[in-house]
Amino acid sequence: MSALLEIRDLVTAYGKIEALKGVSLEVQQGSITCLLGPNGAGKTTLMMTIAGILRPRSGSIRFAGNQFAGHPPHAIVAGGAALVPENRLVFPNMTVLDNLQAGAYQRRDGEVDVDIEKLFQRFPRLKERSNQNAGTLSGGEQQMLAVARALMSRPKLLLMDEPSLGLAPLVVEEIFRIIAQLHQDGVSIFLVEQNAHMALKVAQHFYLMEQGRVSFSGTPGALAEDEVIRRAYLGSAKV
Amino acid sequence: MIFDLIQNTFDGLAMGASYALLAVGFTLIFGVLRRVNLSYGPSIMFGAYCATWVHLNFQAGLLALALVTIAGAALAGAYVERLCFAPHTQGSAIAAMVASFALWMQFEEVVTLVMPKHLYDFPPMFEGEPLAFGPLGMRVEALVMLACALAICFALHRLLYRSRFGLAVRAVIDAPVAAQLAGINVPRILGLVFLLASSIGGLAGWLIVSTHTQITPMLGMWSTLKGLLAMMIGGLGSLPGAVIGGLALGILEAHGQWFLGPQARDLIVYLLLFVLLAWRPRWMTTQSAS
Repeated sequence: MSALLEIRDLVTAYGKIEALKGVSLEVQQGSITCLLGPNGAGKTTLMMTIAGILRPRSGSIRFAGNQFAGHPPHAIVAGGAALVPENRLVFPNMTVLDNLQAGAYQRRDGEVDVDIEKLFQRFPRLKERSNQNAGTLSGGEQQMLAVARALMSRPKLLLMDEPSLGLAPLVVEEIFRIIAQLHQDGVSIFLVEQNAHMALKVAQHFYLMEQGRVSFSGTPGALAEDEVIRRAYLGSAKV
Repeated sequence: MIFDLIQNTFDGLAMGASYALLAVGFTLIFGVLRRVNLSYGPSIMFGAYCATWVHLNFQAGLLALALVTIAGAALAGAYVERLCFAPHTQGSAIAAMVASFALWMQFEEVVTLVMPKHLYDFPPMFEGEPLAFGPLGMRVEALVMLACALAICFALHRLLYRSRFGLAVRAVIDAPVAAQLAGINVPRILGLVFLLASSIGGLAGWLIVSTHTQITPMLGMWSTLKGLLAMMIGGLGSLPGAVIGGLALGILEAHGQWFLGPQARDLIVYLLLFVLLAWRPRWMTTQSAS
């Protein structure tokens, strides 16, 4: 296995406050890599920096051999990485079908409709609602739409920011089933999660992040799950 | 009496058609940027002055003058976008609005420096008698205005709902960050929308000045005001609303002028705006462009 995504000493700041204080991590080709950590650790900032929405102050983001750091979001998508953002961010006043078409915006090949049909098989509920506005969907359906929209760009790497956030337990299980399926189909996934229990079940590698730094790197099982959960929610401060 | 009503409604509808075009351009810009471009009207005025200049210095046909107006307005719009709106996409809505006001002044200064007279004649769109239908008269200009407004609305609807560019515009209006994540080059789309909106405004400007057959630098403020009013009456950010708002504004003005005199015309419009803003009916608060 080789590193598909390689991040070195990444610093991203909001004004004078550094949210990322030199983050280094790797995502291997074909793997599910998971990033855990308490609120405010900088997980979403990291994802937004990789996706190009935020500009890093310094450091490098190498993706499949190309430098990503500081490039605009559409160049990142063109490079082969798609983000499923926190809180889903579907296009609420556009139909499900238009949402999917927008996800394929950069593609000029003739297989967009074929891909939409494939995704409808994977997500039958989206097919039922294809002419409905995305804002009328339930939270779980919107999450599936956000995943499907990201897949429409045919990414090499799927970045997912807390896909289980605010969803009912049954829906969370469905989302993780989908993540496992995508992995089997060969998509590399970099997953940010609060739900450490579910994330550790699907991931091959995980990182812990606290206060803008990576504080632990290992395979699931390298650290007892209750220890991971404690640190993912509370940070490493002694309780 | 009944004929007056019909005649006024028709005249108002025709004027309203050009207001609708002004408002559609305004709404496109407001929709993608969520901020007001005060220089929208002055860009149109700049385009119309370019055409006036061409008219005074060369023998140019009607179509050529219309094209010069549109091109001048589009060019001025692109200039406004580059200077005021492109550098501020990450916030500072006030800075962009104030900057657009500064460019408004710039456009007025440029045209008065090059063409210092207060008023210039503009070649009429049509010379001749209005068409008569019994007691009712119908100006050819009015028919052209209505036809242009209809054609633009139809074409714009096709563009927004049947093209790749339209998909991107709707995505940017709906959720700008999501549009970026979907791989849409948002700054590029914003620039193109500015060009498109200013061109539509330029067309409206030509329709208006070639109907009034004269032009003053006040056209800038006038266009911004009418476009803003129509956009607000129709509910900020809604394209069908902009069309309805423009038509309603035209009809209201025509009746107001006929029954209460030219002084009361604008008074009535502002009264309506005041009532609408105080009452805020549902359609005014739904901010979607679809």
